[in-house]
Amino acid sequence: MTPPLDLSRRQFLTAASLAAGTVLLAGCAPGAVAGSRTETLQFWHLLSGGDGVTMSSLLDQVNSAQSAFRIRPTVLAWGTPYYTKLAMAGAGGRAPDVAIMHATRTVGWAPGGLLDTWDLDRLAALGVDASTFPTPIWEKGFVGENMYSVALDAHPFVAMFNTEICDAAGVLDSDGRLQETSSPEEFLDQLRTIGGSAEGHALSYGYLGDGAQMWRLFYGLYAQHGLAIELPVGGKAVIDKDAAVESLTFMQTLLDGEIAAAQADYGGAVAEFATGKSGMLFTGVWELRTMQNAKLPFDATMIPTLYGTPAVYADSHSFVLPHQTNADPVRRDLTYQFVADMLKGSFGWAEAGHIPAFLPVTSSPAYADLIPQAHYAEAAEHVVYDPTAWFTGSGSNFQSEFGAAVQGVLLSGDDPAAAIDRFETRVNTLLRQPNPADPEGTWKP
Amino acid sequence: MTTTAATTRTIVTGSAADFRPRRAGSRNREQLVSWAFLAPFLIAFALFLVWPIIHGIILSFTDQSLTGAGGAFVGFANYAEALTDPVMWQSMGNTVWFTLLSTVPLVVIALLMAALVDRGLPGQWLWRLSFFMPYLLASTVISQIWVWIFNPQIGAANNILKFFGLEPLAWLQNPETNMLSIVIATVWWTVGFNFLLYLAAMQNIPSQQYEAASLDGAGPWRQFWSITLPQLGPATVLILILQILASLKLFDQAYQMLGGVASDTTRSIVQYIYEAGFVSYRFGYSAAISYVFFALIVVIGVAQALVSRRRKEQQ
Repeated sequence: MTPPLDLSRRQFLTAASLAAGTVLLAGCAPGAVAGSRTETLQFWHLLSGGDGVTMSSLLDQVNSAQSAFRIRPTVLAWGTPYYTKLAMAGAGGRAPDVAIMHATRTVGWAPGGLLDTWDLDRLAALGVDASTFPTPIWEKGFVGENMYSVALDAHPFVAMFNTEICDAAGVLDSDGRLQETSSPEEFLDQLRTIGGSAEGHALSYGYLGDGAQMWRLFYGLYAQHGLAIELPVGGKAVIDKDAAVESLTFMQTLLDGEIAAAQADYGGAVAEFATGKSGMLFTGVWELRTMQNAKLPFDATMIPTLYGTPAVYADSHSFVLPHQTNADPVRRDLTYQFVADMLKGSFGWAEAGHIPAFLPVTSSPAYADLIPQAHYAEAAEHVVYDPTAWFTGSGSNFQSEFGAAVQGVLLSGDDPAAAIDRFETRVNTLLRQPNPADPEGTWKP
Repeated sequence: MTTTAATTRTIVTGSAADFRPRRAGSRNREQLVSWAFLAPFLIAFALFLVWPIIHGIILSFTDQSLTGAGGAFVGFANYAEALTDPVMWQSMGNTVWFTLLSTVPLVVIALLMAALVDRGLPGQWLWRLSFFMPYLLASTVISQIWVWIFNPQIGAANNILKFFGLEPLAWLQNPETNMLSIVIATVWWTVGFNFLLYLAAMQNIPSQQYEAASLDGAGPWRQFWSITLPQLGPATVLILILQILASLKLFDQAYQMLGGVASDTTRSIVQYIYEAGFVSYRFGYSAAISYVFFALIVVIGVAQALVSRRRKEQQ
């Protein structure tokens, strides 16, 4: 016989509170949808503005195509705030199921176990492997032997040009593409010709107070010398001084007030080009939508190869698995499925200007018809990422340090060689510091 | 009479009650109630002030990382690194330079504004509102306003320069002008608070003093120098202390106006602490720099206390 329930008022209230609390907590648990098998996957990303809208429509597409999972995105401000929050989530082991990171940032995170590795076999089973990516983009996903990031795209630094102004200046070929130039002198001549037909400057290039903008152009030009800056752990930076000074001097030449404004910030440069006042703009592909919305007659191309080796500065938005202490195997499987679906559906991402990393998308006939995206698609084969070190990458202090060191060269005509020396000194200081994800230096790739 | 007698009786009765011996249990209960009232504050104080201070000191002796890695005891290594770190000293220097540059106009301009509103200008409410209103804005808002004003191509600052036939400047990006730009924006933003303090102090000066001075033939300037200024001494000391402490905390407006870019001429010590902790993820090192900065504030505080004591002794 069941004994009668004999509770005091206090006991009853305690029991009731506990029960209510349990119900509430159960409601907070991720994916707790009563009576439904659909898993909700948490996805953090840093894409806002036009990119954010595009990402949102891609997620809607993926969500509506199946019923096994739903993606719940969380959008955070890009740069330091995003990376700080993601690092803390990974350190706590209760991170989102999947997140977007710039490929260049993963190397600083892998040693601390902030990221889980991707299983290549599981990816291959879903049709994602080395053969479906441009080699440099696929390889950038690895830190040592393990893959830590799967690239969604490459977003290189490119040259957009106003087709009406350039046509009037006579610098377009019979296909309406910008005539090829292969040396700094040829390119400067071309720009001066364009300047004759433009209301404003021949070239818009905003750099003031923007270390990333200075770095993007500089490192692309530096890499065109067939070189890469090396940052060995615990050692000293390997920078070819001649190539660095030559690249920086060329940038200084562009900003003579005639070819390009000597004092322009990023927003000012974009506005000058978008209002049809200048003939060319150095910018990232992410500004494509801005120019389309401005109804501008324009095309885009890789920044010309001026020093012999085709190279464009770029980074990749990549999928990572932030570390989860107790990863649910079912949800992990669905995460792989989600990433594969996103890669296969990344044509929509191309419409925003980015070059999809997934080759079946960029080799499709539909992509070839996507203009001007198809005109710079070959950049994916020549991408150059930041030098590998724990402190480099998009949104890092490394690019700000570069800007702080060289801005005086572009703004006030300071000595380029002295600026490169300043930058090298600062980088060497950073190299002496331990990777905060592995302060004891025990991790070996 | 009746009233007085009643009052006396009440007092006597009351006194007798006070001297009545209390039971120990009742005293304990009263103490318990007092602690219960104090507890919320004490818990908050311990959790959010005392523990962070202690925890910060502990962290500064470790290589703790934001990523959860590290945490090993490293002795004074972080302090040794901080004291030999040129960027740390540069940031400290920038902070002190900003404090010097901003404190003087923030005190002088506030004084002039208060004097004008107190004595000279009609429609006081409008001036009070206008002068104080910028202080109510968030740092993000004022940063955005001044980024536009200082824009090298379309900004109002360069349009003014052009009007006078002067060359345009890259206000926020040029190392020669970027700190000055931040000072200008900060003065515009925060001078209203000092203005209010001065205005309150001025309105406490008895009007009879001005009337007497006026009868003796003193004009407005003589009254300002001989009555207003001397009587504002305590207010000026208070404003100076508050201003120095506020300026030493330079971070948000400079960080936002420069788009978070590290600049050798504007990076403040608070920004460097933030960069070490949240950009480079070096919590231990960041904590060590914080305590070096704390030491600087203590030195300034002690110096200020010594100066005040000397002034009092001289008076």
